[in-house]
Amino acid sequence: MEAEVVEAELVLPAYFSFKRIQSHEKYPKGQSSARRFKHLKQIIQAENFQNYPPDEPNYVNIESPPSMHPCKRICDITGYEAPYLDPRTKLRYANTEVFKIIRSLPNDHVQRYLSLRNAAVVLK
Amino acid sequence: MPFISQTRRQSDYNLFPSATPIVIDNGASYFRIGWAGENDPRVVFRNIVQRPRHKATGETVTVVGDHDPALLKYFDCTRSGPRSAFDSNVVYQFEIMEYILDFGFDRMGANGSQQIDHPVLITECVCNPVYSRSKMAELLFETYGVPSVAFGVDAAFSYKYNQQLGICARDGLAICPGFTTAHVIPFVDGEPIYKGSCRTNIGGYHITDQLKQLLSLKYPHHMTKFTWEKVEDLKMEHCYIAPDYAAEARLFQNGTKEAEEKTRTWQLPWVPPAVEEGPSEEELARKAAIRERQGQRLREMAEAKRSSRINELENELQGLEFLLRQLERVEEEDIPSFLEETGYVSKQEVESAHAKAAQALRKAKGEPKGEQVGIEEKIDSSTNEKFPLINVPDDMLTPEQLKEKRRQIFLKTTTEGRQRAKQKRIEEELERERKNQEDEEQRLENPELYLEQLNIRYRELSEKVEQRKRLKTNGNHTNGGMGRGERLNAAQKERMRLLTTAAFDRGKGEDTFGANDEDWQLYKLMSKDNDDDDDGVDPDEAELIRVTSRLQEVDPTFVPKLELGLSQPVVEVPKFRPLTKEDFQVVLGVERFRCPEILFHPSLIGVDQVGLDEMAGVSIRRLSCETQEFEDRLTKSILITGGSSLLPGMTERLEAGIRMIRPCGAPICVFRASDPILDAWRGASSYASAYQFASQTFTRMDYYEKGEDWLREYQLRYTI
Repeated sequence: MEAEVVEAELVLPAYFSFKRIQSHEKYPKGQSSARRFKHLKQIIQAENFQNYPPDEPNYVNIESPPSMHPCKRICDITGYEAPYLDPRTKLRYANTEVFKIIRSLPNDHVQRYLSLRNAAVVLK
Repeated sequence: MPFISQTRRQSDYNLFPSATPIVIDNGASYFRIGWAGENDPRVVFRNIVQRPRHKATGETVTVVGDHDPALLKYFDCTRSGPRSAFDSNVVYQFEIMEYILDFGFDRMGANGSQQIDHPVLITECVCNPVYSRSKMAELLFETYGVPSVAFGVDAAFSYKYNQQLGICARDGLAICPGFTTAHVIPFVDGEPIYKGSCRTNIGGYHITDQLKQLLSLKYPHHMTKFTWEKVEDLKMEHCYIAPDYAAEARLFQNGTKEAEEKTRTWQLPWVPPAVEEGPSEEELARKAAIRERQGQRLREMAEAKRSSRINELENELQGLEFLLRQLERVEEEDIPSFLEETGYVSKQEVESAHAKAAQALRKAKGEPKGEQVGIEEKIDSSTNEKFPLINVPDDMLTPEQLKEKRRQIFLKTTTEGRQRAKQKRIEEELERERKNQEDEEQRLENPELYLEQLNIRYRELSEKVEQRKRLKTNGNHTNGGMGRGERLNAAQKERMRLLTTAAFDRGKGEDTFGANDEDWQLYKLMSKDNDDDDDGVDPDEAELIRVTSRLQEVDPTFVPKLELGLSQPVVEVPKFRPLTKEDFQVVLGVERFRCPEILFHPSLIGVDQVGLDEMAGVSIRRLSCETQEFEDRLTKSILITGGSSLLPGMTERLEAGIRMIRPCGAPICVFRASDPILDAWRGASSYASAYQFASQTFTRMDYYEKGEDWLREYQLRYTI
């Protein structure tokens, strides 16, 4: 280890006196960590929230509902108010100049703008 | 940078008695740990872990928190991005959590003691799933040997702390936009009512992500400069919440002066190209002298060569002349035999060789070119003599002579072709010269008319070019997302035809494709690479360029029409002129208030949930309280806390938003927490230092005896 790295104590030491079981014993090297933890979706599924009375608040219960207000439409490129939609690329635009720009964008830029809005075409 | 991590190792761990609780605010953005009863956490760092490989030794090490990037250059960080233990706001990766806790406790000074002998108060999210809670408890009990643990919600601690400060009342609403989520929790009698709480999955992380992507799309050639940390800094410094998004956007759209003031520009580091100092006088003189000497030497060598060549040629010429004179004396029939020795076939050949030699000699002696043209012609006519067999009809020749004849025809056509090309070139030159001269005369005699004509021509040409461009881009997108799209020109149609015939022809019978070598040429025709993007420089475009340059010369008031000249939405990369300072500036205009807007309209990002202002209404509705008066009490004390609440303009916007959903005249007071970032920890610290804190914790025994069900129902009582 280089001197300045050691001095800055960047690296986590392998042994701590206050731990009963050290990290390297608990998680032996080589074992893939991907199997060891559950993702949030799996956690929620395992909870079986539907078995409990719906009155009680739980992680899923308190999620907010979809919005009642009318959807705000803003231009994907400039951020201004955008009343128009380009049927070919499905991007919103504010005026003709922006439209010209949209039509000359390469395809991957189009997809990236759409993915800002979570509206990109996802091929699985 | 507003958030600075403190990671110095504390030395007074052993001074604290075992009863003093350790308070941990385990947030998705930062991890804060300290002693109960103090005002500030001792150790603060970003809640991420990296596992890079050390370049020299190759071992994988763990680095917790954010560190000086200069030190990280010793590690190979390509495969290890920073990883967080959180998914949304729930802890799910406990290995990473363990590293973080290791680091935290270590920096608190615990290294050296046998176990963490203090009760721990740790924060969690609202309605944390039991799995996460139990795993956390297990980690603390088993690995660290903590005697007792308590879980609390960070927003609630913040509210209680501010209640103690007198900012909010016992009943109220806590709005907490955090790093990955935003919560609204109603408080009744000082206790949070989770039944009425509400969570939207939008937070500061999404704002930063949106800003980063927008900037990357707007300035693709500076993409590497927009790292996540840098963009977060930009967000903290420059973003604000507009009181009314539409009005603000209109300000910018109309380009008013206020919009100009609100636009911020970020100048990226840029070094102007060094202006080369002209070499000094001495240098120039010295170089000139050297060159002169070299020139002299070369000239001498050339002279010597030339004189030797002249000598040779003269000798040759003399020999040929002698031969000619001899030929004159000899009879016709004897010529072939006579010339056998010398290697020439006929008298004409000798004559032509002689002429050539004479010309070469003259060239070597430096005579004017005019004579050469005449001589060239003579040579041409003499070369014609070399093809005697062409004019003889076929049937009179032997097979050998036929071959000879074919060769001569070929040679003749090539030489003729060359001559024709030369002629054409000369003619074109003359033509151009003439045109230019005419132009000049026209201009001199009637400048205005000329200018007008030129302008008209320019307009027509630009129209045509633009139309073609439009066709091209329209054609490019006919098939939606199919790569570059198919262009409907002749080449494309031809290719489609080839493809279909090649694909469908081979159905019946044997497939004999490939037997002939010419079949593979099909692929060359089909290949897309052959299709140029721009069909070269169209004649129209070339003409346009010429006219533009002419106009620029002639007319001082002419300004070329800019095509697609919008500087704001998309910046064109200047490829052909030297890069200026402006090219390295990043302009933040609309993005400043567009990105935080997603807190109020998550639909802008595609998340189908309510925004902050509506969330308050949802929360009140969920409480299902009967009286209007009760609701008024709630809205009279609304507290905003959490990292993302530092954005300027948040209080006004929220107040306006909540007023929209409440009946007219309802009292609304919105307060920002005294320190939105640290208040949660401070609240937890003051809570833990209270006398009855111990009754709210649970020990290891409790955990094992009572089991998971009890853990699920475990809730902290906040008023003690």
